[in-house]
Amino acid sequence: MPDPCALVVFGVTGDLAKKKLIPAVYDLGNRGLLPPGFVLLGFARRDWGDGDFEQLARKAAEQHARTEFREDVWRRLADSIKFLPGSFDDDNAFDELDRTLVELEASHGIAGNVAFYLSIPPAAFPVVLKQLARTGMADGSERSGWRRVVVEKPFGHDLDSSVELNRLVDSVFTSHDVFRIDHYLGKETVQNLLALRFANTLFEPVWNSHYVDSVQITMAEDVGIEGRAGFYDSAGAARDVLQNHLLQLLALTAMEEPVAFDAEALRTEKHKVLGAISLPADLELSTVRGQYEQGWLAGERVKGYLDEEGVPPGSTTETYAAVRLGVETRRWAGVPFYLRTGKRLPRRVTEIAVIFKRAPHLPFAKTDTVELGNNQLVVRVQPDEGVTMRFGSKAPGSAMEIREVSMDFLYGSAFTESSPEAYERLLLDVLLGDKTLFPDHEEVEASWQVIDPLEEFWQGRIPQRYRAGEWGPRAAEDMLARDGRTWRRP
Amino acid sequence: MTVTLWDTTGGDVVKALAAERRAGAMVATGLALTLVVTVDEKNVAEAERAATVAAQAHPCRLVVVIRRQLDTANRLDAEVQVGGRLGPIEAVVMRMYGRLTLHPESVVLPLLASDCPVVTWWHGAPPDEIATDPLGVLADRRVTDSSLAPDPIAALRQRAADFSPGDTDLAWTRTTPWRSLLASAFDALEPRPISATVASENGNPSAALLAGWLGRRLGVESRLEESGGPGVTEVEVLLGDHGEDAESGCSIRLSRPDGRLATFSRSGQPDRQLPLLRRQLGDLLAEELRRLDPDAVYAESLEQATALEGLSSRPPRRTHRWQDPAASQTTS
Repeated sequence: MPDPCALVVFGVTGDLAKKKLIPAVYDLGNRGLLPPGFVLLGFARRDWGDGDFEQLARKAAEQHARTEFREDVWRRLADSIKFLPGSFDDDNAFDELDRTLVELEASHGIAGNVAFYLSIPPAAFPVVLKQLARTGMADGSERSGWRRVVVEKPFGHDLDSSVELNRLVDSVFTSHDVFRIDHYLGKETVQNLLALRFANTLFEPVWNSHYVDSVQITMAEDVGIEGRAGFYDSAGAARDVLQNHLLQLLALTAMEEPVAFDAEALRTEKHKVLGAISLPADLELSTVRGQYEQGWLAGERVKGYLDEEGVPPGSTTETYAAVRLGVETRRWAGVPFYLRTGKRLPRRVTEIAVIFKRAPHLPFAKTDTVELGNNQLVVRVQPDEGVTMRFGSKAPGSAMEIREVSMDFLYGSAFTESSPEAYERLLLDVLLGDKTLFPDHEEVEASWQVIDPLEEFWQGRIPQRYRAGEWGPRAAEDMLARDGRTWRRP
Repeated sequence: MTVTLWDTTGGDVVKALAAERRAGAMVATGLALTLVVTVDEKNVAEAERAATVAAQAHPCRLVVVIRRQLDTANRLDAEVQVGGRLGPIEAVVMRMYGRLTLHPESVVLPLLASDCPVVTWWHGAPPDEIATDPLGVLADRRVTDSSLAPDPIAALRQRAADFSPGDTDLAWTRTTPWRSLLASAFDALEPRPISATVASENGNPSAALLAGWLGRRLGVESRLEESGGPGVTEVEVLLGDHGEDAESGCSIRLSRPDGRLATFSRSGQPDRQLPLLRRQLGDLLAEELRRLDPDAVYAESLEQATALEGLSSRPPRRTHRWQDPAASQTTS
């Protein structure tokens, strides 16, 4: 159970707050994981009172909460839902916020502990952080409890801006109190990857270049840019997804065993592996950018990227990116890591596929094994969280024919309690002060060091077209075909 | 368990299937392939029965696509079954209306089992070009049935013209028992074959393919003869030594006048009777699902039967040239 505390959310009227944060707070409350002294304080430029915000929060919880909506739970929580109107450059509003937090110590017993959640565009970071510094709210030593800040991606748009942002945040709060959210790390299966690797004896012996042929990490989305043209067009798939989620998944897949399952040990190993990532020599042949055109997806007609509202004509922003990376360590030398992400692909799916080498010798007739592919271990991050193993098995019948079969471990059916939402888990960790599942600024900067040369190379180039509803551009298939491989169909 | 979704979306079908799998995880283990079936409304029950039989030997995910009328609003109805009336398989039966009938792949693609081979089966008239059809492109094997065409021999020619490795024809599958019996006879053949004749009811594509196979394998001329059926009724191969003519030689004959029991005769040896049943659709399909690599013997028999060359050397994968009729209307 966390200490008594307040959660202050800036930008509380945004999508993220409504769809993820507020429902996560409700779910935590419903599961009895919020301390008795807890306040959710919304801050936004709205002419609202506590009641208006409570209405919005209630609706958000009813619509998006994972657990059942219960009136009595809500009524208890509703008392602790406060709202403060104000814009980010309004000194009075922030003075008022500081006063309110002090008052809440007496009225709600929050004991001076406050977590600030910055659910706002990166451009607004400096002004809010300066306000927090000016009022002294950010400094726990001046107040009676702890002060933490939660930052959402994007963590900058290249190495320089990210270093700048990190310096700014760390100068206002101490770096120990900064929580960078990569919601992928809060997912059950991502944590299960660590369990799979480090709690078992079955996989560790083959988890290296002697047995692994290649690794494919895929994050596919069926949705388009969903009205986020302004942000998306200036970022693109590589900055939006590759830099954070995919490189984090790569790090967890490739890292060495941490000496303990704690924040410090995990960060050390992830940082080592991120630093060991190498880019291919020929970026032209080993990277692909794509942009979707109109097509049919899941039974519906969808627009092309250039026809989406708010996208400038002739935009060369990529909505698909695929890249081959190497990890220059003894364990992984020579094993390609293929990363891909895209929008408007046939299905929403994120998975890590470890593809093993073929058996060095097959004592069967050649025709018996034509349908046998490489053994695979697939960690499905979402949806249908679980693990699949693929291996060869004899097809029933009088002839000796070997074909591939898969063995499935499905999370939902194996555990009675459904897996908590990523935000629920991460929010709880923030309140508990556990940084195990949060990337620190060194990791973020190491990731940008991978992405920056790619972005530089891609600058001014026109992305390949792919039809909405297919698995990315043809060039991505060709890229793997050149290496004698094919993409898995997730 | 069965879930029926009326006027739904592809995304919801994917979710329903996932939920059903979760609920009934016992039945759906070890998927070997995805079987996509396109069929007309009136033949749905027959196709489902056959797929159920085939699925007992080859655990698969069954995706049935039924295209209803084109001139109406877009609409998708779906039935998701895991261990329901179709037995221990996962099945999604979908009915499509409107422009969606032109883009069934947009719904089928997200439903394919991960990284498993895909077999598309047209139970009924296939499109003229199956290798470039949206549901053909995503498949490793494409199964048609020429015997269902109004003119089966013309259908066979079309299949040859459009052939790409991975295609197969249930008319060819029907010849398997004939071929294995005949092949075993030739294993111990002293006099060389000089000609072959296949008798069947008129326009039987299996007979044409069987004749093609005999012609190619034995390197002799093979002829088709008309009989009263049912199906293929007799195969006769005349044998003789070099330089001798047919009159002097002996022959082997496999005849099956009633569609059930065959008589194997060879000059100088007593006749033998063997069961040679006309098989059910499900058994034929199950046989085709056993191998998922291209069938080269079919390709050469089809070449021989239709006098077309180089079928097996065609590229195994073709691409679907995608066109949106609605889009071309608005731009022109």
